[in-house]
Amino acid sequence: MEALFFNASNGFLEGVVRGYRNSLLTQNVYNNLTQCENLEDFRLQLSATDYGNFLANEPLPLSTAVIAEKATQKLVAEFNYIRTNAVAPLSTFMDYITYSYMIDNVILLTLGTLHERDTHELLERCHPLGVFDTMPALCVATNVEELYNSVLVDTPLAPYFRDCLSAQDLDDLNIEIIRNTLYKSYLEDFYQFVQTLGEPTRESMSKVLAFEADRRTINITLNSFGTELSKEQRAKLFPTIGRLYPEGNNALARAEDVDTVKACVEYIPEYKAFFDNASKSTGSGGGGGMNGGAGGDDSDGASLEDEFFKREVSINRDTFLQQFGLAVFYSFVKLKEQEVRNLTWIAECIMQDAKDRINDYIPLF
Amino acid sequence: MSGQGPRESVFPTRMNLTLTKQRLKGAQTGHSLLAKKRDALMTRFRAILRKVDEAKRLMGRVLQLASFSLAEVTYTTGDIGFQVQESVRQASYTVRAKQENVSGVVLPAFEGVRSKEGNDFNLTGLSRGGQQIQKSRETYVKAVGTLVELASLQTAFTILDEVIKATNRRVNAIEHVVIPRLENTVSYINSELDEMDREEFFRLKKIQGKKKRDTEAAEAEMAAEKQDGVEYSADSGIGGGDAGGKDMLDQGKDEDVIF
Amino acid sequence: MGYSSYYFYGLGISWISIFIIVGLYLLFTGQGETFNIGRYLEETSPYFWALLGIALCVGFSVMGAGLGIYLTGSSLLGAGVRAPRIRTKNLISIIFCEVVAIYGIIIAIVYSSKIQGASLETLHNTANTYTAAALFFGGLTVGLCNLMCGIAVGTTGATCAVSDAQNPELFVKVLIVEIFGSVLGLFGLIGTSRLWSDVSAKVADGDTLIERGSFQSDCWW
Repeated sequence: MEALFFNASNGFLEGVVRGYRNSLLTQNVYNNLTQCENLEDFRLQLSATDYGNFLANEPLPLSTAVIAEKATQKLVAEFNYIRTNAVAPLSTFMDYITYSYMIDNVILLTLGTLHERDTHELLERCHPLGVFDTMPALCVATNVEELYNSVLVDTPLAPYFRDCLSAQDLDDLNIEIIRNTLYKSYLEDFYQFVQTLGEPTRESMSKVLAFEADRRTINITLNSFGTELSKEQRAKLFPTIGRLYPEGNNALARAEDVDTVKACVEYIPEYKAFFDNASKSTGSGGGGGMNGGAGGDDSDGASLEDEFFKREVSINRDTFLQQFGLAVFYSFVKLKEQEVRNLTWIAECIMQDAKDRINDYIPLF
Repeated sequence: MSGQGPRESVFPTRMNLTLTKQRLKGAQTGHSLLAKKRDALMTRFRAILRKVDEAKRLMGRVLQLASFSLAEVTYTTGDIGFQVQESVRQASYTVRAKQENVSGVVLPAFEGVRSKEGNDFNLTGLSRGGQQIQKSRETYVKAVGTLVELASLQTAFTILDEVIKATNRRVNAIEHVVIPRLENTVSYINSELDEMDREEFFRLKKIQGKKKRDTEAAEAEMAAEKQDGVEYSADSGIGGGDAGGKDMLDQGKDEDVIF
Repeated sequence: MGYSSYYFYGLGISWISIFIIVGLYLLFTGQGETFNIGRYLEETSPYFWALLGIALCVGFSVMGAGLGIYLTGSSLLGAGVRAPRIRTKNLISIIFCEVVAIYGIIIAIVYSSKIQGASLETLHNTANTYTAAALFFGGLTVGLCNLMCGIAVGTTGATCAVSDAQNPELFVKVLIVEIFGSVLGLFGLIGTSRLWSDVSAKVADGDTLIERGSFQSDCWW
């Protein structure tokens, strides 16, 4: 039935977003890009694609930062076009997409305020997708208490802040813990919201969000080995959604080394495959870690991250197989983000003359 | 040859000759010492040069690795620059300077010290890319270590360079200026002294000739006077004659009167 | 979203309560027997049924066509933004949808030609009743067939537009699916054509045509 009425408000935008998705770079373009000798060639190759001459007005010694920034700007422009044309459920949905970037921005500003920097300078470093109208108002705050209050009043993130943190916490906790706490409640909230939407959206988005949650859970576990993060704190950062929840989460909360983590996620074949592939691609996977507990996860983690990226891309690619759902909007943003990352990576490899690693990007199609 | 070229402006006396000879000896000793020092420094210098070369190549590689690992971090985590900057509370890598003595030249040597406690941002990238961040951090620590080593080598290199130049100058100055000059002086003094000797000898000869002639003349006169019968005593003055023949002031010793 | 569902709930509840109140009123005032569906069906004018059939036929067909066109159209517009080459090709989906409305109109015209004057006495004879029922259900069948066909064609048309935009090779393949969908409308058309030829036979047979007449006044309302 959703096919009947979905197009009334979202059909046009779905068509547009699919058009955007078709203009994502293809394997061919990537092959050409990896052959480039310098960033001039790189720019030339890109000008034949949908990016056009987005770098045309840049002064000549191109830097990868500029390329990343410009590519992100393009993503933001496309996103904003869709966002301004969106109506009720889609507009809320797209707002939800921006919340994750907003969390990063607010965290950045919090960090600035904590260290008594001029937060106005930080506004430029904020992710453009997470910019909201009242963001400059946050810069007025001179201490954490004020910042906390203005976040509560001015931002859509208020529920997450209210439920999880107090002004005192902002001062005391490590900024990363705050970020992950916020992100956890954001994911849960987004998941709840998605459940209220129609069928294809719910199905695809639940899959995407579940994966995102699981990825965070595994990553937090792996990264917290050998740090001062206690197990109780770690358990609190795990989103309560996803395929690992609840038993996997509980097991991971108690995990102490990589092997335990492997054992914890073993019952989900995909995640098991990640670990297997990761250790395969790095050979024995030994290598001197920082300490005993984290021994070997330096090399493991790198490609595990890649495996996660690959999986994310493939999940997001699959959502495009479903018509008449909102998930394509989310997936488009994620795919485009991955593309920007790929471009930056290739540009970086060209600049640093690291041809052997240049093919480590994640192909989108 | 002797006396040509630059020389000290001394009087050509025996004493000066001795002095100059001593100085020449001193200069030669100094020269050999300095030359030894120079050789020692040169050996050291070459060693450092080789090390600097190695370190620079190594630095190129290490820094490339490091900046590439940063690129990996950017790939997975995004821009974490600000966060890392802000969460640093104290330097986790410090440089300690010590000194090393190479044939009297003081060379500073730096040593990087990694503080044990500081790992302020190890939660950065908790949800994504934390391992890359730690890896990048390790790589950069290594890179900084290489830089510190290179810095210490480079400083040693410059200082040694200066010192070697100065020593070389001194050696050359002694070899090419001081020693020739002293030698010149010595030979000058010698030649002057020889000259003076010859003059003296000639003068003596002359005087001798003159005396001979005078004596001959006097004898001839005496003979002529004898022939004349007039005999003059040596002193026919007061107290006179042969009896009181001696001058009072002549300190000839009186005969002892006791015995 | 939330408010409109409240509205529909409210509407449903008020209708049900009106129905119950009227029913109870009739029951308690001793007029319970006037609530008689059989008599209602029996006494309703055959014109009513015939015209209702035509109305449903046109109405549902146009609804189907409209839904189809707007399903296809909005996707086509959106996909056409980034791939302008698809717009002319995909007009065929719009035409398929439009055809659905034309089916309805054709049937309506054919059916309306079956309605002729009939005298009051012969109004309720078998032939007339059959004709009325045939026109009603024929119209309903065609209407619903066309509605579903329109939705089917519209949905596949939307898919056709986006898949064509993504990969031109897919156009023909999805178009085949779409053609099969649009055939569904024809099934209704063909199925009911048997019905109307039957009607003509019956009409020729009994020679009693539906005549203009008034409704029976003892209808329960």
